[in-house]
Amino acid sequence: MKNKLWLATGTVGLGLILGACAGESGGEDSSSESGDATQISFMHWRGEDKAVLDEIIADFEEANPDIRVEQNIYPSDQYQATAQRMLQEGSTGDVFTSFPGAQFESIQSAGFFEDLSGEEFVSNFDESLIAVGQKDDAQYALPYQLVFNMPVYNKGMFDELGLEVPKSWTEFQEMADTLLENDITPIAFPGADIGPNQFMNSMMMNNAPDEEVFQKLQNGEESLTNEWWVKTLEDFKLLADKGYIQDDALGTNQDSAMAMVANEEAAMLATGSYHMNSLLDLNPDLELDLLAPITVEESEATYEGINTATFMLAVNSNSDKKDQAKAFIDYLSQPEVASKYANETGQHLTVNDVEYESEALQNTSYWIDERNTRFQPRFLITNAQIEDAVLSSIENVLGGEDPMAAAEAAQQIVEENRE
Amino acid sequence: MRISKSIYLFFLPGLVLYSLFFLYPTISALFYSFTDWDGLSTAFQFVGIDNYTRAFTGDSIFQKTIGNNLKFMLTVVVFQTLVALAFALIVIKNTKTNVFLRALYFFPTILSSVSVAFIWAFIYDPSMGILNQMLELIGLDFLAQNWLGNSNIAIYSLAITQVWFHAGQMLIIFVAGLQAIPEELYEVAKIEGASKWQTFKSVTWPLLAPSATIVVAYTTIQSFKAFDLVFAMTGGGPNNSTEIIATYIYDVAFKSYQFGYASAISIIFMVIIALITYLQFKALRSDRVSY
Repeated sequence: MKNKLWLATGTVGLGLILGACAGESGGEDSSSESGDATQISFMHWRGEDKAVLDEIIADFEEANPDIRVEQNIYPSDQYQATAQRMLQEGSTGDVFTSFPGAQFESIQSAGFFEDLSGEEFVSNFDESLIAVGQKDDAQYALPYQLVFNMPVYNKGMFDELGLEVPKSWTEFQEMADTLLENDITPIAFPGADIGPNQFMNSMMMNNAPDEEVFQKLQNGEESLTNEWWVKTLEDFKLLADKGYIQDDALGTNQDSAMAMVANEEAAMLATGSYHMNSLLDLNPDLELDLLAPITVEESEATYEGINTATFMLAVNSNSDKKDQAKAFIDYLSQPEVASKYANETGQHLTVNDVEYESEALQNTSYWIDERNTRFQPRFLITNAQIEDAVLSSIENVLGGEDPMAAAEAAQQIVEENRE
Repeated sequence: MRISKSIYLFFLPGLVLYSLFFLYPTISALFYSFTDWDGLSTAFQFVGIDNYTRAFTGDSIFQKTIGNNLKFMLTVVVFQTLVALAFALIVIKNTKTNVFLRALYFFPTILSSVSVAFIWAFIYDPSMGILNQMLELIGLDFLAQNWLGNSNIAIYSLAITQVWFHAGQMLIIFVAGLQAIPEELYEVAKIEGASKWQTFKSVTWPLLAPSATIVVAYTTIQSFKAFDLVFAMTGGGPNNSTEIIATYIYDVAFKSYQFGYASAISIIFMVIIALITYLQFKALRSDRVSY
C-alpha cells in the first residue's frame, strides 16, 4: 500500500515537473533570447505560405545571425478573433499581419500598432497601395499582398465558346445564357463560406460607386433600403432565379465550388485571384483570368474590378524587440525576396519592382496598372455586426426572400448597431 | 461526533479551484456586463443596465438566437433522449454483441468536434454529400435538401449531428440506470400479466427517472453550449439561422469587441440555462417513484 502511495505521488510529481519544463520551453520558443540570437515571433494567418516563408526566414537568419524568426500561424477566422488578445500580451506577434477594415481599426484604436512612418522600407512599397494601412497621417501597417476579390474565370472555355468579357449587365446575362445553353454553370458560388463576402464587392461596385457608402451607412447618412443596395440584392436574386449560380449555392463551400471550376462544370469562381493557384493545382490545363460582373450599362460603369491590399505587415507596439521586427519587415520588402514570395504563393504584391514569373501572375498583372479597380468595399465596413447584417441580406435573398424585405431586415440590424 | 478543524483544509483545494475558474470569471462577467469595456483597452465606462436593455429591446439578432437555441435544444433533447433510451433498451443485456454495440454507439463521443463537423459538413453537402446521393439512390430524391444552406432547416440539420455525436454518451447513462432496476420487479409485472408497454410505463420509466433527469439536464446544457459544431459547420449562417447564443457571444466579444455587452448576454445565458434546468429537474423529479 505504502509503495503504491509513493508510486502515485512520484508519478504526479514527475508529471508536474515535466509539465513545468514543457511549459517553460514553450514559452521561451515563442519570443525571447535564444542563445546569442534574439527570437521574434511572426504571427499571421497564411498557413499555405508556411513553406516559402520558412525558406525566406532561413535566408533572413543567415543574413542576420543575431535574429531568429518563429512563425505563429492561426487560421484566418481564429486570427480575426484572437489576434488582438495575443498582441495585448506582447509575447507573440513582434511582427504580425492585420486585415484591413474592422481588424485594422480595432488594433489601431487599442494602440497595438507601432508607427512605421519614416522607416526607410516604407518606400519599398507602392505608395498608392498602402493607404489602407494609414490612419491620422501615420503608417501603421504595410499591406504586402494585392488580391483581386472578383471572379476567376476559365478564359480557355470562353475562347472556345466565342465569349467576350461582358462590359454591361445585359452582356453579362447574355454570356451566362450561352454558358447555360452549353450545360455549364456560369458561376460557382461558395455560399456556405466566403461567397457572399467576396462576391458582394464586385456585385455592388458600380451600383454604389461612392467609396464612402458604407461609412455613410454606419453614420446614418445611407440606408440599405436605398437603390444601390436593393438593386445589388435584386441582381443576386436574378443570378439565383436564372440559374446563373448553382442550385443550393448556400450549402456549397469553397472546396466544392473550386472543384466545379476545375472540372469545367462551372465557368467562374466567385471568390478571387488568391484561388488561381489552387485551381491550377487541381487542373493545370486551365487558362484563367479575372472578370467582375458589370451590373450597370457600359456607359454607367465606373469600376472594372476590386482590389484588396491585405496581409498588412506591422510591428507590435507592446514588443520589446521592435528593431529586430522592423529588420524582418525590411527584408520582406526587398524586391528579390518579395518576388520569391509572390511567385511561390501565386500572389501579386504591393512591393515595388517585383518580377512575376508564373504565367497566371503575368497574365493578370495588367489588373494592377491598366484597370480601374476599387478597394474592397466590405473592408470599409468597420463595424463587424453591420458587416454581418449586410452579408446576411445576401444570404436571405439567395434563400428566397424578397430583396426589399431582406434589405429592410438588414437595415434594422444596422440601426441597432450604429455607434 | 467531533470534527477536527483540520478537515476544512481538505476543502481548500476545491474551493480555490472553484473560486479561480468559476466564481471569479462569473463575478467578473457580472461586473463587466454593466460596462462598455471593449476587452482590449484599460478604460471603460459604467453604463448601468444599458447592455441588458439592449439585449431585450434593441438587438434583434440576440432575440433570434434565443429562438434558434430553443429549436436546437428541443430537437436535441427529444431525439437524443429517445434514441439513447431506445438503443439502451436494445443493448441492456451484457452479451458480447451488446458490449460491442455499446462501444460502437459510444464511439462518436470520443471524436473531436471539429472532425465531426468536417465529416457531417461533407455528408450534408448538397451536390457531393453522401446523404443526398443515398436518398437519390433509394428513389427518395424528393427528400434531398440543401441541409446546411436552407435557413429553414439548417438548425435541425445541426441538431441531428449533435444527436449523433452525443447519443452514445447518454446511452451509457441509461444502460447503467436500466441495469440498476431489480429483476424481481419485472418478474412481478410478468406474473401480474402486464404488457410490455405497461411494464415500461409502470416499472422501467419511473425507476429510470433519476437517469432520465441526468440525461435531459445534461443534454439541455450541452445543446445550449454547442458552440464548436455550429461554429465549424455553419458559422451561424445562413442569415443567422443557426446563430445560437454561444456563437453570438463569441461574435460580439471577439469580432465586434464589445466585451461589456457580451458579458451581459453571458449572464442572461447563464440564467436561461439555470432556469430551464431547474424546471426540468422539478418536472422529472415528480415522476420518480421507489418500490
